[in-house]
Amino acid sequence: MIVPRPIAPRMLRLAALGLASLLLLAYVLGPVMWLLSSSLQTEREIVSIPPHWIPESPTLANFKAIFATGLGLARPSPAGTDPSSGGFIPSVAANLLPAMANSFIVAVTVTILNLLIGVPAAYAIGKIRFRGRGLTLYAILATRVIPDIALVVPLFLVVRKLGMLDSLASLIIAYLAITVPFSVFVLASFFEQMPDDLDRAARVDGCSRLRVLTHVYLPLARPALVAVGLFAFLASWNEFLLALMFTQTAASQTLPIVVAGITSDFTVSFSFLNAAGVLAVVPPVLLAVIFERYIVSGLTAGAVKG
Amino acid sequence: MARIRFQSVTKRYANGATAVAGLDLDIADQEFLVLLGPSGCGKSTTLNMIAGLEEISEGALLFDDRTMNNVPAHRRDVAMVFQSYALYPHKSVFENIAFGLRMRRVPEPELRRRVMDAAAKLEIAHLLERRPSQLSGGQRQRVALGRAMVREPSVFLMDEPLSNLDASLRISMRAQIRHLHAQMHSTFVYVTHDQAEALTLADRIVVMRDGTIQQIGSPDDIYERPANLFVASFLGSPAINLLEGALETIGGTLCFRRGALTVPLPACFRGDAREVVLGLRPEDVGPATSEAAQIHGVVDTAMPAGSDQFLGVAVEGAMLFLRVPKDVRVREGEPIGFGLTESRLHLFDRTTGRSLRRAA
Repeated sequence: MIVPRPIAPRMLRLAALGLASLLLLAYVLGPVMWLLSSSLQTEREIVSIPPHWIPESPTLANFKAIFATGLGLARPSPAGTDPSSGGFIPSVAANLLPAMANSFIVAVTVTILNLLIGVPAAYAIGKIRFRGRGLTLYAILATRVIPDIALVVPLFLVVRKLGMLDSLASLIIAYLAITVPFSVFVLASFFEQMPDDLDRAARVDGCSRLRVLTHVYLPLARPALVAVGLFAFLASWNEFLLALMFTQTAASQTLPIVVAGITSDFTVSFSFLNAAGVLAVVPPVLLAVIFERYIVSGLTAGAVKG
Repeated sequence: MARIRFQSVTKRYANGATAVAGLDLDIADQEFLVLLGPSGCGKSTTLNMIAGLEEISEGALLFDDRTMNNVPAHRRDVAMVFQSYALYPHKSVFENIAFGLRMRRVPEPELRRRVMDAAAKLEIAHLLERRPSQLSGGQRQRVALGRAMVREPSVFLMDEPLSNLDASLRISMRAQIRHLHAQMHSTFVYVTHDQAEALTLADRIVVMRDGTIQQIGSPDDIYERPANLFVASFLGSPAINLLEGALETIGGTLCFRRGALTVPLPACFRGDAREVVLGLRPEDVGPATSEAAQIHGVVDTAMPAGSDQFLGVAVEGAMLFLRVPKDVRVREGEPIGFGLTESRLHLFDRTTGRSLRRAA
């Protein structure tokens, strides 16, 4: 006799799973939703109790203020103004757009240079058998074993001696030092797991080493390149500690520094802070959306033999 | 056009291992040369040195009269087929075949014509738009051949190209490779560990072991007149029977002796009294007749094998494995006698392993 499987335990399990997923979602997305929602609220609405998840009268005033002051069309409110009076613009508002531009310049430059340096290095380590190959890789990785905080002071001294304080170049160089080892490591193992015969076939077919790289390995490495490039971009976009040390004026400050600066102003406008936060989130999210299909294939590449 | 010459070529790896030692080899233009040997014997290294994929540690490699030691792979007029096929996974079949021509800037109309020609010959014209991942093993093999063919190279290298194919396909591809060699005016160098492949394809075979050449010769030379014990036992399936014994001169005739067994040897062997090994291929026995030298033993096992049968015969404490016609009636445990064909006997010095056959 066939006993039908009881439904209740199954439903219970589904319900438990569903609840767990919801909790996880709330935990992950809650802060992001609040960031987004509060950036569209007035200062008065933000501090209301209970908080409004959906703004009563959504306003773009915070964003307008950022762009207007950034473009020199509006001035920050005088010190001592009450933010809840509405239309308050903090003094750092004018720095937000330039900081965003700085962040963008630094992140893009680091990404490009990172790939230009990392790819040939990784190819050499992954595919050319030379003396000291393993040692080279270890030496490159060893630089990442030391925590950044330990390097801050020495790096600061070097940058100062070079007269590069308060310049974007100092950030670009420092971020390359952080991201290139990681890129070389990831790409080298990617190149290494690609069949040697492909390299040999291409060379016999008439490719120099460089052309093997550009015509055969790079097209195949696209997912890894995207993953590595994104990492370099995000690491540079988000980096705070070194930027705090190396930059002093709006000329070179990056977005994390300026956004953090909003909280240390005389008067803190939370709606404004959150609008700035949204602006800081947009570029990485856009990139992730654009390259989503490569990220997925990059994560699973080589898992199953195609 | 390319005659390939190795002059005392040695290849040492960075870890100190010697893959090829003092190789001297002269490959004639348009010859089909097979490098044969067990894995690790240096045959693939030799091939890679011709291709320019391995550097030469010592000695010289010449194409015609030009030293090639420092010419990079992409500047040698060489095409190669790999065991793994090594097709470019991101390119279509057409682009895979065309790649070498594109790298050499062959004009588009000619490129197209040559790719289509090759595809037609290899019967893969209907696959040109596919990716390698959508092809069967046999089809990939053809694409790999096509990629090498279109180049019309003066040197055509193949590194165990048929090893990944199933048995029946392997035999039909052998025929195709022979055709290819007949059509193209290229020097073919082919690496394999499969003796049957070597014997069917080669003009000449080079048998290698531990980085040195054991013997160079036509398939007949190698099979019928092996230069040493290694070559004798490497070729032939089932393997040659080897009987240890002593060389003695009895009544002016050179004889092989092992216990009660005495085999008079033909005049083609030379040597003084010493320890020797007598080689006898399984198929080289016939009915016992009064004229021929004979060998007697006891049937240990009889195994029918389709067209003929294999017998395990105990002779003077050794076991010989022989192939006889099916109609020979035998019973296990019964005595049996065979006639030996003198010209088919092999004799080797037991210490050096060298053949005691006189130089022809």
